[in-house]
Amino acid sequence: MTHHEFKVKWGMVIDLDKCTGCGACMVACQVENNVAPMNDASNKLRTLTWMLVYELSNHKDFPEHETAFLPRPCMQCGAPSCVPVCPVVATDKNEEGGIVSQIYPRCIGCRYCMAACPYHARYFNWLDPVFPKGMDKTLTPEVSPRPRGVVEKCSFCHTRLNNARQRARAEDVDPLDFPVEWYQPACAEACPTGAITFGDLNNPKHEVNRLIKSPYAFRLLERLGTDPQVYYMSRRDWVRYQGDNHLAHEKH
Amino acid sequence: MLEKALQGNSRYWGWLGFLVLVIAVCGGFWTFQLQKGLTITGMSRDVSWGFYIAQLTYLVGVAASGVMVVLPYYFHHYQKFKKMVILGEFMAIGAVLMCMLFVVVDLGQPQRMINIILHPTPNSILFWDMLVLNGYLFLNLLVGWVTLQSERMHVHPPKWIYFFVYLSIIWAFSIHTVTAFLYQGLPGRHYFLTAIMAARFLSSAFCAGPAILLLIAFALKRVAGFDPGREAIRSLAKIITYAMCVNVFFFLLEVFTAFYSNIPGHMAPLKYLFVGMQGKTNMVPWMWTFAVLAILSIILLVPPKLRDNPKLLPWSLAILILATWIDKGLGLLIGGFSVTPFETITEYVPTFPELMISLGVYATGALVITILFKVAVGIRRENLDLKAE
Repeated sequence: MTHHEFKVKWGMVIDLDKCTGCGACMVACQVENNVAPMNDASNKLRTLTWMLVYELSNHKDFPEHETAFLPRPCMQCGAPSCVPVCPVVATDKNEEGGIVSQIYPRCIGCRYCMAACPYHARYFNWLDPVFPKGMDKTLTPEVSPRPRGVVEKCSFCHTRLNNARQRARAEDVDPLDFPVEWYQPACAEACPTGAITFGDLNNPKHEVNRLIKSPYAFRLLERLGTDPQVYYMSRRDWVRYQGDNHLAHEKH
Repeated sequence: MLEKALQGNSRYWGWLGFLVLVIAVCGGFWTFQLQKGLTITGMSRDVSWGFYIAQLTYLVGVAASGVMVVLPYYFHHYQKFKKMVILGEFMAIGAVLMCMLFVVVDLGQPQRMINIILHPTPNSILFWDMLVLNGYLFLNLLVGWVTLQSERMHVHPPKWIYFFVYLSIIWAFSIHTVTAFLYQGLPGRHYFLTAIMAARFLSSAFCAGPAILLLIAFALKRVAGFDPGREAIRSLAKIITYAMCVNVFFFLLEVFTAFYSNIPGHMAPLKYLFVGMQGKTNMVPWMWTFAVLAILSIILLVPPKLRDNPKLLPWSLAILILATWIDKGLGLLIGGFSVTPFETITEYVPTFPELMISLGVYATGALVITILFKVAVGIRRENLDLKAE
């Protein structure tokens, strides 16, 4: 698997101690990215949830029982497992910023990328997208809806990145180094507790650059070597253990 | 030569008619899938490949297995396989065709399938799989047709064809290796992540494929009076026995590696398959059936007395085919996908439409193989009649 390096690496740091599991990020994501509502949204094996909040438990009885919530966007891996397997180049990691792309009109729906992604971050359109009457007026005009039979996934709200770049060029700012407020994905913007921090991981001016160096920061299934651009943080040991594939007796 | 396929008795036409009927009914289910999408299958986010791709995997083995008669005949000049060679090549054609159909029915957007050629991706194993499968189809069509044509004309096959014969022998190994690579390079899927996956695929292919070929040969003997010869049957049964022993041995290697190393991720799929995990036990009865049948087939095949018993051999082969099919056509994919990287279990059960569409693909393969075998047997009989005169 090729490792991709970029000058700018858009990434997230999600503080799991701040996350209350309210699901605002999931809703904001679906609205922003024109994900059609489903008849049975409780069946997570068939729904499209670019951002999905998982519930973690320390598996202890009361009074030691603790819960944590883990929002899971696409990890935008530095060495993505999904990209090399695609037989039609419908997904690539070739753009400054390091966001893994998805070309819906080219995807043949073979679902090889889903088999390869260890994070279950990729979603197949099992059903036709149907927007209830009136809802079509609330669609995001810049985001293309996807037909049945193709794979889609979180793009870090890529259209917002395009808009920010355009603004930078218009205002004569370096499009690789604009103020971080110009580009925030919908989930980060919507989070009521500020659990999601977003920015360029390589840019010292951005908060994320500092946060990823925290001893409490970790990444999911880090041992697979996928080098995700999404980091998590928790001061609770058991949460960190569950995030990486550690054995029960190991220390972090 | 195709005119041979147009001359047959009522039983031949009845069988063809039956197959066409099955294809038509199952084709109806396929149009249903085209209208509704893959939501009619049992697949999901976690088990993103199901029955279709599992059948592809099994049939790639069947296709590759023709080489078990072709190789001894061309590399070692083992003349006893002379009659079987054309059957092996023609069965490969049918099997590869089924493989490709199983990919087509599995695609979410089958109308875009040419994108694989329009946007070639040497980094994707699926791209290579498409190349090697098409190549193998072409090679077998060419070699089978040219050699049969020469036989009909009572001449030696032209010299240039031997290049393609030798190429097809090596190519047979490639199709199954590439199909194994489809799985074994995926991180986070412990059941697939094993260096001997390709070797396991080949070993199971080299027992299951020739077993199917032998069963078809027995059927041909009954309906068309085509006798592959006692020695040929015995030699092929021997090959099947060795391959099955190696196949079971390879499987036990996996079990040892997983449990002696005590790596949870490696143990999980085997635990899920054989004893169930987190209360999910769908696969347990299947896998124990596989284990029992696999051992039973070895018991019935290893002793020469039992193996050379013409009454018993078809049953032993059927047991072997069933065992390998459960292992590769069910257990491999379901075991690999159901155990997720997050150590949860997502079970998968194919739906009725999914099974019907698969049946339709199998019927299509059977139709093609019937027609090709009819041609082969017809040419043989024509030659025999000429000799008798």
